[in-house]
Amino acid sequence: MKLKVGFFSLTCDEGCSVNVLEVLNNKYFEWKNYLEFVNFRLIKSENEIKEMDIAFVEGVVSTKKDLEKIKKIREKTKKLIALGTCAISGPPSNLRNNFNEEKKREIKEILEKFGFLEKCFTLKEVVKVDGEIPGCPIDENKFIQLIENLIKNARRY
Amino acid sequence: MHGDIDINIEEISKTEGHTGLEVKVRDGKVEYVKLKVSENKRFFTQGVIGKKYFEIPSFISRICGTCSIAHLFACIEAVEKAFGIEVSEQTKIMRKLSMFGLMIRDHGMHLYFLSLPDVMKKDSIFEIGEENPNIIKEAFEVKAAGNLLCKVIAGRAIHPTFATVGGFLRIPKNDDIKNVLEKLKNVRNNVLNLIEIFGNSSLFFEKESLYVALCTPHFNFLEGEIRSSDGIIIREENYWNFVNRVVIPYSQSTAFKFTGKPYRVGALARLNLNKDELDEDTKKDAKKYIDKFPSNNIFDNNLAQAIEILHCIDSSIKILESFEFKEEKPISFKIRENEGIGVLEAPRGTLYHMYYFNSEGKVKFGNFVIPTAQNQIHMELDIKDLIEQNLDKNKHELQHMIEALIRAYDPCFSCASHFLKIKWI
Repeated sequence: MKLKVGFFSLTCDEGCSVNVLEVLNNKYFEWKNYLEFVNFRLIKSENEIKEMDIAFVEGVVSTKKDLEKIKKIREKTKKLIALGTCAISGPPSNLRNNFNEEKKREIKEILEKFGFLEKCFTLKEVVKVDGEIPGCPIDENKFIQLIENLIKNARRY
Repeated sequence: MHGDIDINIEEISKTEGHTGLEVKVRDGKVEYVKLKVSENKRFFTQGVIGKKYFEIPSFISRICGTCSIAHLFACIEAVEKAFGIEVSEQTKIMRKLSMFGLMIRDHGMHLYFLSLPDVMKKDSIFEIGEENPNIIKEAFEVKAAGNLLCKVIAGRAIHPTFATVGGFLRIPKNDDIKNVLEKLKNVRNNVLNLIEIFGNSSLFFEKESLYVALCTPHFNFLEGEIRSSDGIIIREENYWNFVNRVVIPYSQSTAFKFTGKPYRVGALARLNLNKDELDEDTKKDAKKYIDKFPSNNIFDNNLAQAIEILHCIDSSIKILESFEFKEEKPISFKIRENEGIGVLEAPRGTLYHMYYFNSEGKVKFGNFVIPTAQNQIHMELDIKDLIEQNLDKNKHELQHMIEALIRAYDPCFSCASHFLKIKWI
């Protein structure tokens, strides 16, 4: 049985997803027998969010849609891993949280028009997070180590 | 024949960043096409104000996860122009090599992972790989070579750490150069295959268009003059005077016209306007396909990208084989109150950064022109024509054709949405 993994982007620059694709340059053939990519919008049509073993999520929760999506992902996944600085601690995607009154006034209309939340949240502020890969973009070695441990554990059972 | 069609795609896949599309057709006439960039704004235009000149290059490069090197260098160039900094020859060469590395891996990602599935009528590269494992192997090898070039010269491929105002913080080591050279030479054949695939693709959508690109000597993507296919030549710092910002009420991005007209930027524009400057070996080995340009077929944008990968490999090999890197520090300089403008060709087209610095070197305001925002109006017009020409197709087919057309532009909605103050009136 392959491990079902999904990659998801909330509000961010998708640098972590792109970096995952760079990691695959050298790892794809090693991993493909153990991993099934159930969601990965950057490289395949986005299908509905299905049951999976591990969800990797980059970005901050900035809009109502982001919030719905992360809750849905949490429901469908056994483990949820936060990828990168935005997802773990907020910057720079949470810029607006620290704007002064003048800048806040300037962006107010856009926030209302496009369904933004009052502020940006990190993943662990809104759902249970099981692990983190830090960095902007993610630390490649830590990501590789995590995937290889998961594969090892899955093979043991 | 269908009289009425409604298409509503919430999120188009296989693009960099998020966008949706809404189309309404009544009695065989397209009433509207709305490309709704749904990439959530992160308000960089506001965020950059008050930051010091040395903070902004790495800050602003966070706009985009795939072409961050382009934003980084456009920003650094603007800072250097503002403070009157003239960098060393070696720095210029290292910036060129970083741009070549960026093009190889960024175009590589787009062509193999996002567009090839359209050409081969599959959903993803993984599906293609089930029948043809060789192509997926070649894809990863090409991307890896570009990635390594970026790493060796600039520190890493995404949000690199060695490039700074005035030069580079680290100079590449000979062993690393040797390693990159070998990788680049090894993937040259893969890229010739890729050019064949896109050169012989049956995907086609032609529309007489206006093209704009920064035309650079030796196709270096960095320094030159901006030209349009209707004969206008502009110095980099005057670009803003020739573009018109257009507010799109349903989108989180704005759009641009050039001298009041819709236009296309990107690899197709570069090949149409500047193909004579390509590397000689590239010209020799891809002649049959380079002869297709100038072209008005938007799917040739992907062929142009594949040719650019070959050019970047050939140019990099020549530089790395002949240039001797020596230890040097970034140039020192004095800050002053001034504006600075940086223009270059990012993978997806002409990129413009402008900053005004106060006497402490803090940003008073910034202004940006992003490639995908420049293509937005043309993309919508193309979609409208495509639908009107294909009303005999069923909705599913039509939707697929539209998505393929959008992907051919290689749009980056991450970049498109993050700049500009929009006033909703």
